[in-house]
Formats: sequence, structure tokens, C-alpha cells
Amino acid sequence: MTPDSPPAALALRGLSKRFGATIAVDALDLDIPAGSFYGIVGPNGAGKTTTLSMATGLLTPDAGTVLVHGVDLWRDPDRAKPTLGVLPDGLRTFDRLTGAELISYAGLLRGMPPAMVEERRDDLLAALDLDAVGRTLVADYSAGMTKKIALACALVHAPRVLVLDEPFEAVDPVSAKAIRRILQDFAATGGTVVMSSHVMALVERVCDYVAIVGHGRVLAHGTLEEVSGGGDLEERFVGLVGDTSERRDLTWLRQS
Amino acid sequence: MVATVLRLRLTTTRHQLQREWWRLLVVIGGAVWALSLLPSTWWASRALEQQNAGVRLDALTAISAILMAGWVVIPVLITGLDDTLDPGRFSSLGIPPRSIMPGLTVSIFLTVPSAFFLAVLGLLAMSWRPNGAATLAVAFAWVALTHATLILSARVSVAWTARVLQSRRAREAALVAILVGALVATPVAYTLVSEGLDTLLNIDVPALLEALRWTPVGLPVAAAGAAAAGAWWAVAWRLGASLAWTLLLYAVWRANVSYTLVHPTYRGSGARARDDAVLASAKRAQRAVASRAGGAQRAVASRARRYWVTDPRYLSGLVSVMVFPALFFVLVYPIFGSPVAVVMSIPVMVAGTIGWGRHNDVAFDSTALWLDVVSGRLGREVMRGRVAATLTWAVPLVTVVGLVALGLAGRWDLAPAEFGAIAGVLGTSLGVSAVSAVALPYRAPAPGENPFSAEVGSVGAGFLAQVVSSISAWIVAVPVTLPLVAAIRWDARFGWLGLVLGVATGVGVLVVATRWAGHLYDRKSGRLVNAVA
Repeated sequence: MTPDSPPAALALRGLSKRFGATIAVDALDLDIPAGSFYGIVGPNGAGKTTTLSMATGLLTPDAGTVLVHGVDLWRDPDRAKPTLGVLPDGLRTFDRLTGAELISYAGLLRGMPPAMVEERRDDLLAALDLDAVGRTLVADYSAGMTKKIALACALVHAPRVLVLDEPFEAVDPVSAKAIRRILQDFAATGGTVVMSSHVMALVERVCDYVAIVGHGRVLAHGTLEEVSGGGDLEERFVGLVGDTSERRDLTWLRQS
Repeated sequence: MVATVLRLRLTTTRHQLQREWWRLLVVIGGAVWALSLLPSTWWASRALEQQNAGVRLDALTAISAILMAGWVVIPVLITGLDDTLDPGRFSSLGIPPRSIMPGLTVSIFLTVPSAFFLAVLGLLAMSWRPNGAATLAVAFAWVALTHATLILSARVSVAWTARVLQSRRAREAALVAILVGALVATPVAYTLVSEGLDTLLNIDVPALLEALRWTPVGLPVAAAGAAAAGAWWAVAWRLGASLAWTLLLYAVWRANVSYTLVHPTYRGSGARARDDAVLASAKRAQRAVASRAGGAQRAVASRARRYWVTDPRYLSGLVSVMVFPALFFVLVYPIFGSPVAVVMSIPVMVAGTIGWGRHNDVAFDSTALWLDVVSGRLGREVMRGRVAATLTWAVPLVTVVGLVALGLAGRWDLAPAEFGAIAGVLGTSLGVSAVSAVALPYRAPAPGENPFSAEVGSVGAGFLAQVVSSISAWIVAVPVTLPLVAAIRWDARFGWLGLVLGVATGVGVLVVATRWAGHLYDRKSGRLVNAVA
């Protein structure tokens, strides 16, 4: 990183994780500048979710450190965790609370006073277009609504760094637009957003920085322009990761 | 289709064993243990062979009844059933029950317990050898029918209990049925007692066994007995009736499979509006204490209270805690009576069951784990909140059971001893469970899954945790129950010592253990999510 660039909001140093014989993350280094909207892209099984889990305290790394604004997450979680907002992917939410209750729960866990929790809960429900179902159990939500309520839980304590794993998955276009606006506002005022996705068009549209991850390592990183080299991000991505599957036509699927 | 279903089952089992090789050790260990029991079964069979037909008949009736009770109750209360081929998992494939049933049927008979009990029954049937080949043949019909009934009964009891717990309306109906049943049973039992103890005492074991031979449990055994006596018509109708019973069980199980194939269980049951109870509880606490300390703990407790009333997995735990004292005080005690020591030990056992039942709480609560972990170092608050939610129903329950026991025994002088022991055992067992839930979590059924399902070998995976936690709970609980024994045996005044000792130990162990569990939770937090989710 050049000396004049802003200090890292999230710095991953030599992160490694192995599951049995599989190396999921292989000594991964990444600096995410404060105030950036950072996209992490990679093919399925590249280690995105494992990396983000280790970066948020959900999975103990085999080796390496995670610094959140300079604070070691795994050494000093009491100082690091309050500055993080987390939306994991692939983990179920406790769905026997209503949407409103789940946000309150997240706020109270963060030690916020009830009055503040109540105010922010109502703001978040309105902003994410969930007021109509705030009193319904999360078990009865659709996939997109569950995603939005989990996002609200990540936002309620006004963190400095948001780590979001596939935040737009299953979310309808209207809500996606609302979420994008919230996140872009957040980044514009100095907050940092880290999100993983495998939708290149979305990353190109919202992120100003991007890292391409494959086989548990960072293959390319930098500003969007640097990584895509002025061309198309998807082409760069496929070029780096490799067109893995040989093209085979499913002729039997054709209807005529 | 049979081959496809069986191959699916074998493949999933193989993959699972490859992923977690130690499960294989558990399966092998279980098989070796089962094999080690066969020589003694063979010996018992030889011993029965020496007896006359009447004794043999009684013994085999009793064995059939015990096996049946075991196969119906144990999967529901303790182990769950292997659900590799849960019909719910086929629901998206649009398979008609007709084509899947043969494969499912064969697969439920191809398990280690099934093979073991087939061997046991077969060895026992050999004891009819002295009565000739024809009787031996009928005895093997007994083996086939009883074995089929055992396995089908387990499926039926698990399937229908799960279904009852699944829907709110069915839960309420079941509760009403149990209450009405208790209301009817109590006066009947009391009348029987007052009508004359003599008649009751005559309902001794032989009469009970005779009665059992007229039920599906004993019919096939009775057929073998009739064959030994040469009454072939009696053999024919008994075998026919038990075959009909087996087919009926099969039909009931099949009906449930067909239902499950078109009713996946993973969705909630309709939208109901609720107010924000989590925040309301926090506000009440704030008004009461005027401090925001413990806000996280209170939030966890109100969330935990929610799963205690809505989650079938927890409800089944709650029900199984209450079944035993209810049966004892409503049926066994009024009819047969009991020594004071037994009556007094029931509430203590209930307290221990409640506490020990929480030994895998973190895994049961897996869906909430990530939010608790990313929110900071909250281990102590989380563990305290869980314990608090359990105590909100456990304390009233054990108090009522304790009062009932004291009242029925008419020994109010034992009250301090009794409540001391209850408090001690409840506190210590909950404490041991809190530590075990963090230190030795094992996979539990996820919310929305069948609460009685168990993965292959997970009975064994949990086995270590269950053995360690129960032995620790016993060791810690013994000292606090000694004053109760002394009070019953020698002098009720020991009870005051017991009260002080029990409350102090219970509260002390619970506080220290919860704190320790919370510390452990924080240390392990980065591995817990992966271990249970």
C-alpha cells in the first residue's frame, strides 16, 4: 500500500484455514482501506465465506491475524467486535422471533439502551421496507426478507466496518436499490463496506475497490479500474480464474 | 427403486463415515458391545429350554413386553431414530409413496439395532426345541412378527409424536387429552384402591402376563404356547391376528410417509402478529433496576423463553421431563403405593432430568449462535440468559412436584430436606450441563427438523458427552442428596442441614459453572459455530 493511501479499516495478514485435506484459505493478505466500498469476488469454493468468517470472529483461523482499524480481532475482541457489523451467508437466523424482535435482540446484545434500540429498530424496519411484517415471525419470511432483517441486525449498532457475505442474494430490485443507497451513504460518510458477491455487474456498479479470490488466495486487488484494466471485470475474472468447464451443449434440453 | 433407495442410504452412510471417521469407531464399538451380549442371550435360551412350557411362555411374554416398551419409548425420549431416509427429504422429487415404500421398508430393517434384536429373538425362540419342530416353526413366526412390530412401532411412535409436536393445534389437543386422561385415571385409581386392596394385590405378575397375551404384544408368544399344547386353531387365529396388527402398523407408518412426502416440515405455521417481547422485557428491567447492565443477558433470556414455548425440540424435552412424574403420581402411586424414599426421590430425579437435559443446549440453539458470537465477548451473558429461561419454568415445576410428593406421602416434616435436595440437584445438574454444552457440543436436529431424528452414529457422538455430563452430574449431586436420605432414614431434622447445604451448593455450583462455561464459550467461540451449525 502506498504511503498516501488511507489506513486499513480491515487488514488480513497471512490468514489460513484448512479443513481436513482441503486448504480453504492459503496465507491470504488483504488491506481494505477505510471509507471504501470493497467487493470480494471469486468462483464458488474460492474461500470467500471462510475468509469473511475468520475476519468477523465466527471461525478461528489456523494462522494469521485480523486487524479492525488496527485492533487485533482475535486478541482483543472486546475492542474490535463493537466496530464490526456482520451479515454471514449460509448460517440460519434464529427465526422464532419476529423481525422487530430480532433487531431489538441484536441491539440489546450490543449493550445499547432500550430507548435507542426502539428508535433504530423502527427506522431500520421502515428503511428496509419491512414495517408491514415487523410483527411476523422470521420463520414466515421469504429468503429476501430474511436477508434484509439480518442486514438490519448488522446495522443496528452503527458499526464502522460492515462485512456482508452476499448481501443482495435473493433480494428484489426495489429493496436492492434501497440497500445500495444505505450502504453507499454509509461509505460516503467514512464507513467501510466489505461485501462478497459473484455477480460481477453488481460489483462493478457499487464497489470502488475489488479483490479477486481463487483457491484461497488473492489473485488481483486494487481499485475497480486497476483490476479490470479499463475493460470488463467479468472478462478479467474469467481470465484470472480460468474458464474451468469445457463447453458442452445440452442438445437434449433444446425444445425444438 | 428398492435398490436405488438402499444404495442412497449406503452411500450417505459411507460419506458420513468418511467425513467423520470416528463415527465408524462408535458404530463398531456398538456392534461389538451388542455381539458381546449374544452369549448371555444364548445361555438364557438354554436355561429357558430346561423349564416347562408355562414358565417359558411367561418369560417370553415379559421379554416381548419389555422390548416393545423400549422400542416405543426410547427413540422418542432419548436417542431419536436414524433419519438418513427421512421421507421429508424426498418431498421435492414428487415420488409417490407406492414406489418409495418398499425401499424405505427394507432400509429400516437394515440397521445395527434391528439385526441385534433379530438375533436375540432368534436365540430365544430356540428354547422351544424340546416341544418339537412344529412348535419351533411357530416360535420363529413369533420372531418374525415381533421383530417387525418392534421396528414398525418405533417408526410409528416417533413419526406421530413429531407430528403432534409440529402443529400448535395438535399440541394443544394432545395436552387437553393428557389432562382429561389424568382427570379420569385418578378417580378410577382411587376407587380401585378403596374398593379393596385384596383384589388389587391379586393382580399379580402372572395375571398381568396372562392379560398381555391377549394384546398384540403377547399374541405371537401365546401362539407358540398354544402350539406346544397342540391347539392348532388357537395358533392359527393368534398368528393371524398378530399379522393383522403388523400390517396395521405398516399402514399407519405408510400413511405418515405419504403425509410427509407432501407436507415438508421446514416452513412456519402461518403468520401471527406479535409485539416485541424482547424489547418490552428490556424496558421493564430498565425501569426496575435503572441500569443497563445485563441487557444482553436479559435479551438472551427472553429469546430462550420464546423457544421453550414454540420449538418442538424443546417442547419434546419439556414433555419427557413431565411424563415420568405424571405417570408415577397419577397411576403407579395410587394403585401400588410406594415407600416414602421412592416418593421423595421422584421430584429430585425430575430436577436432575431437567438439568441434565440441557447438556447440549448450545448445539440446540445453533441458529442464534452467530449473532451472539459477532456481538462481542458475551459468553457469560449468553449462558446466564439460557439458565435464567430454563429456571423460569423449572423452579415452579419442581416446586409443584415436590409439594405433590410431600402431600401424597403425608410427610410435611421432610419438606426442608426435600426442597434442599431439589435445589441442590437442579443447580448442580444445570451447572454441569452448562459446561458440557460448551465443552462437548454434538450435532442436534436443527429447528424445524424432526425433533426425534438422529444422524447415523450421532447417538454415539453424543454418547461421550452424555456419559461425561451424566457421570459429572451424579458425582456433584450425591452430596446434596445425602441429608434427604438421612432425614428419611433417621431424623427429619437433618432436613434443615439439607436445605442449607442444597441451596448453597445448588446456587454456588450454578453460578461458578455458568461463569466458567461463559469463559469457555468466549475462548471457543471461533470453533463453536463450525461445530454445531
